Amino acid sequence: MDHQPFFAALQRIYPKERLLTKGVQLLAYESDALTSFQTKPSAVVIPESQDEVIETVRLCHQFGVPYVARGSGTSLSGGSLPIENGIVIALNRLNRIKKLDPEQRIAVVEPGVVNLQISQAADRYNLYYAPDPSSQSVCTIGGNVAFNSGGAHCLKYGMTSNHILGLKVVLADGEVVEFGSESLEGVGVGPDLIGLFVGSEGLFGVALEITVRLLPKPELYRTVLAAYNDLETAGNAVAMVVASGLLPGAMEIMDRLSIKAAESAVDAGYPENAAALLIVELEGESEQVETEFEEIMDVIKESGSYEIRVAKDAEQRLRIWKGRKGAFSSVGRLSPDYVVQDGVVPRSHLGKALAEIDRLSQEYGLDVANVFHAGDGNLHPLILFNGREEGALEHAEELAGKILKMCVELGGSITGEHGVGMEKRNYMPAMFSEVDLETMKTIRRQVDPKEISNPGKMFPGGEAPALKMTGMHPLEAKGIISRE
Amino acid sequence: MSLQPTTLEELQSIVKDNQGLLPIGGGTKPALSTAFNGATRLDMSRLSGIIEYEPGEYTFTAYAGTPVRTIVAALAEHGQYLPFDPPLIEQGATLGGVIAANTAGSGRYRYGGVRDFIIGVRFVDGQGQLVRGGGKVVKNAAGFDLPKFMVGSAGRFGAFVDVSFKVFPEPRAYVTLKAVFASLGPALEAIYSLFTAPNEMDVLDLESLDDGRFGLLMRLGGLSTALPGRVERLQAFLNTKTEVLSNEVIQAEADAALWQQVNGFSWVPDGSHFAKVPISPKRIPLLENVLLSLNPSRRYTAGGNVAWLAVSDIEQLDMLLNKLNLPGLVLFGPPGRPFIGPRPGVSLARRVKQALDPSGKFLEI
Amino acid sequence: MQHRIDIKKYGPRGEAMAEAIQSCVHCGFCLAACPTYKVLGEEMDSPRGRIYLMKEVLEENLTVEEAQPYLDRCLGCIGCMPACPSGVRYDELIVSYRAFSEPKRKRSLMDNMARRMIAETLPYPNRFRAAVASGKVGKLFKGAMPEKLGAMMGLVPADLPEDKPLPPIYPAKGRRRARVALLSGCVQTVLNPDINWATVRVLSENGVETVIPQEQGCCGSIMMHIGEEERAKKLARQNLQVFVPDEVDAIITNAAGCGSGMKEYGLLFKGLSEEAEAEKFAEKVQDISVFLDSLGLKPPAELREPLTVVYQDACHLLHAQGIRSAPRNLLSSIPGLTLLELGDDGLCCGSAGTYNIEQPEIAHQLGQRKVQHVLNTGAQAVVSGNIGCLTQIQSHLANRGVSLPLYHTIELLDWAYRRKAQT
Repeated sequence: MDHQPFFAALQRIYPKERLLTKGVQLLAYESDALTSFQTKPSAVVIPESQDEVIETVRLCHQFGVPYVARGSGTSLSGGSLPIENGIVIALNRLNRIKKLDPEQRIAVVEPGVVNLQISQAADRYNLYYAPDPSSQSVCTIGGNVAFNSGGAHCLKYGMTSNHILGLKVVLADGEVVEFGSESLEGVGVGPDLIGLFVGSEGLFGVALEITVRLLPKPELYRTVLAAYNDLETAGNAVAMVVASGLLPGAMEIMDRLSIKAAESAVDAGYPENAAALLIVELEGESEQVETEFEEIMDVIKESGSYEIRVAKDAEQRLRIWKGRKGAFSSVGRLSPDYVVQDGVVPRSHLGKALAEIDRLSQEYGLDVANVFHAGDGNLHPLILFNGREEGALEHAEELAGKILKMCVELGGSITGEHGVGMEKRNYMPAMFSEVDLETMKTIRRQVDPKEISNPGKMFPGGEAPALKMTGMHPLEAKGIISRE
Repeated sequence: MSLQPTTLEELQSIVKDNQGLLPIGGGTKPALSTAFNGATRLDMSRLSGIIEYEPGEYTFTAYAGTPVRTIVAALAEHGQYLPFDPPLIEQGATLGGVIAANTAGSGRYRYGGVRDFIIGVRFVDGQGQLVRGGGKVVKNAAGFDLPKFMVGSAGRFGAFVDVSFKVFPEPRAYVTLKAVFASLGPALEAIYSLFTAPNEMDVLDLESLDDGRFGLLMRLGGLSTALPGRVERLQAFLNTKTEVLSNEVIQAEADAALWQQVNGFSWVPDGSHFAKVPISPKRIPLLENVLLSLNPSRRYTAGGNVAWLAVSDIEQLDMLLNKLNLPGLVLFGPPGRPFIGPRPGVSLARRVKQALDPSGKFLEI
Repeated sequence: MQHRIDIKKYGPRGEAMAEAIQSCVHCGFCLAACPTYKVLGEEMDSPRGRIYLMKEVLEENLTVEEAQPYLDRCLGCIGCMPACPSGVRYDELIVSYRAFSEPKRKRSLMDNMARRMIAETLPYPNRFRAAVASGKVGKLFKGAMPEKLGAMMGLVPADLPEDKPLPPIYPAKGRRRARVALLSGCVQTVLNPDINWATVRVLSENGVETVIPQEQGCCGSIMMHIGEEERAKKLARQNLQVFVPDEVDAIITNAAGCGSGMKEYGLLFKGLSEEAEAEKFAEKVQDISVFLDSLGLKPPAELREPLTVVYQDACHLLHAQGIRSAPRNLLSSIPGLTLLELGDDGLCCGSAGTYNIEQPEIAHQLGQRKVQHVLNTGAQAVVSGNIGCLTQIQSHLANRGVSLPLYHTIELLDWAYRRKAQT
């Protein structure tokens, strides 16, 4: 297939500083936060308007060129990995907050807006955007929508999907569709298209404009740290809190390795030498929180914790969360390589799951650091390995696979919030039947008949290969572009 | 014609052998559940019962034909509940019907509606295949979120077999505060100030009273020891930050009875047509303006984000909604046209329909 | 992040570079803290992207020339380091990489000329003063001069203050509490000699005797920063000879960049005979604010009139040396002074050593951004612990036609003490 017209058309849309084709530029985009996968795209385009995105997607459809839309590239599942012979649509400059209406508690934003910037903009109205993935200071809302991102505080008010009211998207074949509204009810009438689009991992198209709901900032937080001598007791403490009928805003557990890593990055004030640390945070109206706090302290005191600390001010609370949110990356201090998993188990099976992970860790001779959203059973085992050793990555991935299968066997899921992406696509059959997967693929093909929108993600074994560009591009031959 | 499968296999063969199917649960929303134009009733009421309920997990899985009241009763035994107040429980609404119609009562305000609590679905698609989406755990990002997609799908994409929900611990006590305002303007202003206030409410309903006055109903749930203080504080807030005329505290049985009436739609006049219209609070004055001539019984739930309108003629309402560019869903009214007003995004819905039901076994979307 | 760098190839600094690259997990947390990423929004212009490109060059998949434009745009502000949960030593990486890449790159004749002029002018107060004097002439012939030099001249005031050399020793008042040596610096002494005088006076007020070695010169930090390693070593060696760390409690600097640079002397001389000596020197280096804050300040007098100031964190204090509370503590101890925060997450003002000269466009955007934040606070004056920031902010305020007084932290303290002396 001749791609000169495609590149020529891109050149008509983008000035050369927004159409990156030099090898050095493309290299910088070849990985997201999962560096075990690298693919150099053919080009990176940097649109500055919705129209440019729409035109680009239409061109891709016309010429059968695959693309991935990318925000800050913080995906831990390889979700924003470029596609070979495809282009990257970098949405970072579509970063306007188009509307912030405190009276209706909504904001209308473009996909390149950083998650935390919404809360910062809403702060003066005493509002915030609730979903808080650990990378919230950098990750974009477009990426959050694509992967239905979660975070530590999703226990009470849900994940990204629960906070999206309206979407304007360009589907993979170039049709622009709007659904949902500024109403809290969102779609409200007819099938919930927002539910379908959020978490579709970019397989349907690109979100251009996103209406999010904002919440009033909790008046009071009570953040409790409880230290335990073993993980299982901490896991049981979670079950006790859940059973008490209280609804904390967040409930997290970190194990010895992750505490050590986080403490070395941030002076978070975690109790030293704890085998397991439980973080419970209550949030809300002060009278209610104070009363809940008394109750929860009773529960925790009964749970076998040997040391309980309560954050005494906002700064201490922030440090606790900074340590927790940087935990994955700080594990980089312990080991140059690790695999992060994101499996979910039913909450009552937490203790069992942790024991099994421990057993597998010993069987494989690999350290596993555990840091997880205990309140909703979302595990994040980090399997440490040394990539320099022959076969080490494969060995670690085999262990990761066993953990995921255990999660499914316990009635859980292979991913709670990171998405399937590249990394977990081969485990989808453990969770879904052939019919389930085939049905999802059929829906995908109805929306994206040429399978050009982020192909290769989510489904096992990839999809029908996208049309390939072969040979030297005429513009390349003339020295106008270079792909290397 | 009416067909009533009692097993999954029967359901699958019915779908394979028939056309024009309309899955029906308790039949409490006649505009959605009345077969018309030769459509076939697919009565799902025999696929009923709770399959799995682990109170410690705060999740359950049940057949879609299970009456919601069965669920509510089972949950209540363990101090748990579906926070979105599924309506028409006493009348026999089923889980499947609540999902297909996307109906949520006043409790939708704080934690969200049906879409925010459904976590898994198994359904038989237009080719008679059993398809699963989602799962049984509260957090799950694997595959397309078909459970959410099915919320509001009105039986157009397949017949639900069983569904999984997450649930919450029910507040141990409730109190309702009813505040009266001279007109719509100050009532809406009060909503806007409450939106950014720290006071937490499970319900924030707006209702039209006589003489052009409007009432705000605020329901507070939580620990009983904290409630009196919270109510006082809310009253103080209303007195200082809004133009409230009067307020009244409703407690205990009176509180429970009030919300049962509201969520049972018993305030809707007999024989009227009744529709749900998602709206944003700032558009309420516009809607109120055009509704003047119809003078419907009405109520706005979720802090003025959902309008419930009882009118004498749905056609007129359809016209008005088209003018205002507001989509609506008819619950009580003539069969055959549940969707009124504009249909944003319907082209995408039709593509999914093409994937799930290519030969049109279920009704057109 | 895994790499295949042949460490042996890169001499004593190879290991430091490889280690920094290895500890990066490519999570992207640094993006939000990077000024160039804020302005350009491109992966190549982010810390994570630059680390990746450096890795590719060191692995020999990419040439030095290909990667250079993106590495040149790094301000070296080190804003990424506090944001990095993995503890990547970006400071060591970028300085080492620049030292490695500088001799390998091709520069244009004009570029080389400008660079040489910078390298042979800035570190030498007398030459710099002369250059500025000729700058007045230069402005007339702007078109004929290298563009970068023009940018440099644009920042420099038309009239320079008089030279006021410091004595070899400035005695302590009252009982002697400590003895320190002062780095008098290069550019700052030319642009504002009062800062050094304020420093010795405040030290003296607080019972500290100050030694000012007369043979000292530029600390070499700017040269380290732009990859002129040999020139940096030459300058540093001079100071290693004239400062005697054992005889003082601290080696004091009042310029952020000098402080962070001198703390890296150990790395500069890694594997060389001076390494131990350099380490010893580096350990004694302290910013004036930290020294005074930990010594315990004698209470200053109340200002004549209340003053509201905004404190601008110099990158090389906040990010490179982690100095946040000390200058704030000092300022807050002055009665009558109200301290405001900028609220811009300490994003670099664009001054960054010679960045103004090398990357005028990005420096301009960052300067404008910073000034906007300053104006938003409504402060009556700007305070910072670094002459570079003060100059940059002043020139961008002037661009907007706004004139606000700018002070070094130590100048305000000096004021307060002198007021005390009067009363």
